Amino acid sequence: MQIIKKTQLKALKVARTLGPLGVIETLNKKRVVGRGGASFPVSDKWKYAIETKSDKKYVICNADEGEPGTFKDKLILIKNPETLIEGIIIAAETIGASEAFIYLRGEYEGLLKNLRTEISSIIKKSKTNVSIKIVMGAGAYICGEETAIIKSIQGFRGQPYFKPPFPPVEGLFGKPTVINNVETLVNIAQALGFSDYDPDLRLFSVSGSVKKPGVYEFKVGTKLTEVVKKAEPAGKPKAVYFGCFGGCMEYKDMELTPENICKEECIHGAGTIIVVGEKTSIIDMAYIISKFYTFESCGKCTPCREGTIQILLLLKKLRAGKGEKKDLELLKELAMHIKETSLCGLGQSSTNHIISAMHNFPDEFEELIKR
Amino acid sequence: MEIVLINRLREIQKKEGYLSEEALKKLSLELKIPLSRLYGVATFYSMFNTKKQGKYIIELCASPSCFLNGSWNLETFLKKELKIDIGETTKNGKFSLKKTSCIGCCDSPPAMLLNGKVYTKLNEKKLKIILRKCK
Repeated sequence: MQIIKKTQLKALKVARTLGPLGVIETLNKKRVVGRGGASFPVSDKWKYAIETKSDKKYVICNADEGEPGTFKDKLILIKNPETLIEGIIIAAETIGASEAFIYLRGEYEGLLKNLRTEISSIIKKSKTNVSIKIVMGAGAYICGEETAIIKSIQGFRGQPYFKPPFPPVEGLFGKPTVINNVETLVNIAQALGFSDYDPDLRLFSVSGSVKKPGVYEFKVGTKLTEVVKKAEPAGKPKAVYFGCFGGCMEYKDMELTPENICKEECIHGAGTIIVVGEKTSIIDMAYIISKFYTFESCGKCTPCREGTIQILLLLKKLRAGKGEKKDLELLKELAMHIKETSLCGLGQSSTNHIISAMHNFPDEFEELIKR
Repeated sequence: MEIVLINRLREIQKKEGYLSEEALKKLSLELKIPLSRLYGVATFYSMFNTKKQGKYIIELCASPSCFLNGSWNLETFLKKELKIDIGETTKNGKFSLKKTSCIGCCDSPPAMLLNGKVYTKLNEKKLKIILRKCK
């Protein structure tokens, strides 16, 4: 696995020799993109932060891995925290920040002690002026959204706000801030430290109805069946979910590229693959995922706050066999409405699972109104 | 460097078990932050409790991966065993039962947190032993 290879401060040395613009150029050339789900080029994000003049700048490492079915950052935090910390120092020194934060999800408290030890050790060895502080999340899925993280660190409810201004221009405490995900920061260090760095390798968290759930590394474009086979499906797979936000598609022989996945009304996101066996009802899946969104909606904008509740109520009615054809139409319309009008990524993607399920498994929905 | 409020709230909860009105009032005076804002923050994050909890807090993972590996049966079992519903605390103040969003243990489902500690690959037999150990 490339992701657990340690750069041992070689990457930092290279970054210091190259200087900020050289680092940007290298990351651009090596095609390092964000791994949090949006695949935004790292070099662009960092360039904005470098170009914005300010007395203070910040780096935030997003370790608030909360997408259901995702546990790749946990693997990195356990197996390669050294390279992650090196990546954070490179980010800070490149954009000219002296303070960095790791926003670690509250549920990963068990990793805290080791992470602290590694931070002091790497800071000492690297002779950097950058300080790294860990902020523990407290169980809010929304705090994986970058503006929500900012609010949370500043001591408020973790509710997102409208962009622009984008964080690299105006972020934490109103200062230019670079926010990168754990996997991204490790890739940054590796892209600088290793001449044979491969930008096309991705981590897949495979779980669900499989015998060997785990994190696997494959190239972009690997066949879905190959990825799932590695985790040894328990029984015949029927569908896969790309986390809760990425939606679901039929299990089939398809190359996993963002374009192909998009054609299935799904989003690739952070490489999450939840395998669903043929005995599981898609409606049950829709029900528990909808419950998740009603619980995790931050309550700021109406389409998400109220809409997710109405979706859940409709599903309850349909599951109880009391639904009619018009309820299915309403479900679809409401799902589209929430997608189009919510404020942040959470709200906008909260109904992807409904839209894709109705698109890819229409029979299971039709079945509900026949009863 | 500024004080990170949620880190502070965590510390208080760790010491006192939950974030009481008195504790928040005290913190409000100390940090000169309005009580309403502190209460707003305390009630936003699911890991903060503003009500007294049981000695042992069980948080069962409600994520799809745990569901696909039988978490619904465990929920039924725990409700029956503890004679409480989700969100409630036993009369003797020993157990609180909750559900949590994904805790990142999809590689060893079904999973739960017991006072923040992770327990994985659960089944009824394992749960019985765990409950018995809670004195």
